[in-house]
Amino acid sequence: MIVAEHLRKTFPGKGKDKTRVVAVDDVGFEARDGEITGLLGPNGAGKTTTLRMLYTLMQPESGRVLVDGRDVAADPEAARRALGVLPDARGVYKRLTARENIRYFGELHGMSPAAIAERTKLLSEALQMEDFLDRQTEGFSQGQRTKTAIARALVHDPRNVILDEPTNGLDVMTTRGLREFLKRLRGEGRCVIFSSHIMQEVAALCDRIVVVAHGRVVADGSTDAIREQAGRDNLEDAFVHLIGSEEGLHA
Amino acid sequence: MKALLIVWKKELLELVRDRRTLMLTLLFAPLLGPLLFLGLATIGESKAKEQMEKPMAVAIAGAERAPNLVAWLASQGIERKDVADPDAAIRSQAEDAYLRIGDDFGKDWREGKPALVEVVHDSTRHDADIPVRRLETLLGQYNQQVGALRLLARGVNPGVATPMAVSRKDLSTPEARSAGLAAMMLPYLLILGAFIGSLQLVLDTTAGERERQSLEPLLATPARRGAIVSGKIAAACSVGIVSLVLTLLAFRVGAAFAPGAAKQLAVGFGEMALMMLVLLPMVFLGGSLLTWIAAAAKSVKEAQSYTTVLILLPMIPTVILMVSPVKNQLWMFAVPFLAQNQMLLQVIRSEPVTAMQWGVYLVAAFGIAAAFWFAAIRRYHQERLAVSA
Repeated sequence: MIVAEHLRKTFPGKGKDKTRVVAVDDVGFEARDGEITGLLGPNGAGKTTTLRMLYTLMQPESGRVLVDGRDVAADPEAARRALGVLPDARGVYKRLTARENIRYFGELHGMSPAAIAERTKLLSEALQMEDFLDRQTEGFSQGQRTKTAIARALVHDPRNVILDEPTNGLDVMTTRGLREFLKRLRGEGRCVIFSSHIMQEVAALCDRIVVVAHGRVVADGSTDAIREQAGRDNLEDAFVHLIGSEEGLHA
Repeated sequence: MKALLIVWKKELLELVRDRRTLMLTLLFAPLLGPLLFLGLATIGESKAKEQMEKPMAVAIAGAERAPNLVAWLASQGIERKDVADPDAAIRSQAEDAYLRIGDDFGKDWREGKPALVEVVHDSTRHDADIPVRRLETLLGQYNQQVGALRLLARGVNPGVATPMAVSRKDLSTPEARSAGLAAMMLPYLLILGAFIGSLQLVLDTTAGERERQSLEPLLATPARRGAIVSGKIAAACSVGIVSLVLTLLAFRVGAAFAPGAAKQLAVGFGEMALMMLVLLPMVFLGGSLLTWIAAAAKSVKEAQSYTTVLILLPMIPTVILMVSPVKNQLWMFAVPFLAQNQMLLQVIRSEPVTAMQWGVYLVAAFGIAAAFWFAAIRRYHQERLAVSA
């Protein structure tokens, strides 16, 4: 269970313009266990920065994040232990095999070799990566790299999973496989948050959708609730309406 | 502590898998210095020997005015040769030096007045130094001989014209004497090797990790940033130490096969252990300083542009000491690069290093390394570090 409350984050302005850039203005939502929560928003809406605050890479200027009821600012290491994170940057070590990449993260999580081997077996079956598990990752396809990155993020069997645009650059078949995998995680009672700018994907998968635009939450609820809120039958229309009206406000 | 070991092990595993960088770090770099150094020493020595002993042909302007001198010089291995325009030949560097016999040489000689002989040369040309010195020495000898004969002919003991017998007594150790050239270059090569021996690995594990976008996932693990940075620095130091040992061994083996004075560099294993101890803090300083610098760079290329400047750093004390040699003072042992330079010289010259000097040196060197290590950890705590693009 992950709760975000009134998160705000700004960055120093570049160049002559010294006014601070507001990346996340006021974002708050609740992601429950056994549900997939989708963070939906256009490019530059502040999704990645929000997620970075969730996994303690950045500190919010105001607001707080609770993971399993504990404030992450109090003990960031414990929070990271309870989270499995696939960040926006998903580089793998190219001179290590996929298995060694996974093992490295397992060791950093303080796992025993036996436990790592067991989890690696489980994850590689679920993600269908047995045939390239023992190859050095140099020359991996985008899908193979993403699978490796997901497996190493989940090696420590975390209760909460955060994935930043996991389907970026993946083909249809791989995306379908990944979707099944996320449903499986939900079935295991985990709390899954994933961000995307692709509406169909969120609609196909999520129990709850949090729509973010210009660093603010503009809608929060089930697919039906969001359609209702926007007064549109079609989710895509609803999405455009929600973002568009917000842009109208700023103009 | 456990995370430190995990990071250390993984960085070294990656290095071992990367054959090209491994060769560059552990084979090429340690061998290049000794080869260059011993090669230069050998060439320099054989050239000096050649110029000192080989018969030399020198143009003598106005030779007909001093046939006895020319004949005597010929007996000492200085042949006479004809050059049309000797001044031009020296300027165009075709000739090293020539002798000009004064116009009134014969007249002055007969009258017992000092007769003019000029050694004409270009003092900015280093390779002319030895021929000029040879000519001057021979002319001085001839001068003395003839002067003594003249006094004898007048019934005077030549000894009265030499009220004092000035001579030098050299107290330097044979090791110190032979160390001339070595004293200049060797410390620089060794310090540089120790300082940037781990450069490739550091670039790869810090700036390279950011460039390949694998830093953000790493920082999302529960491992403490201090442990991660320390693991990376520990890997850099391990590589630096191996590289340093190989460099010292290469010098030892190379010097044993080199001819002449370079052979003197074949120091004993006791001295090698001392050199190792002197250079060890340099490895730590290099590892932590490079990590600190490279951590701020977004790409390996950017980091390289910062670190190339560092290659010049160890050169500064060597150059300053070349221009104005100074006596050892205690404060010098607290200044990085200068301290290593002085201590290596002391070891090469077989001079004892006092306990006080060791104390100041080790405390200062490890203190500075620790400061950069701490700065590198602080830098890894910055938020913008984790954001790759």
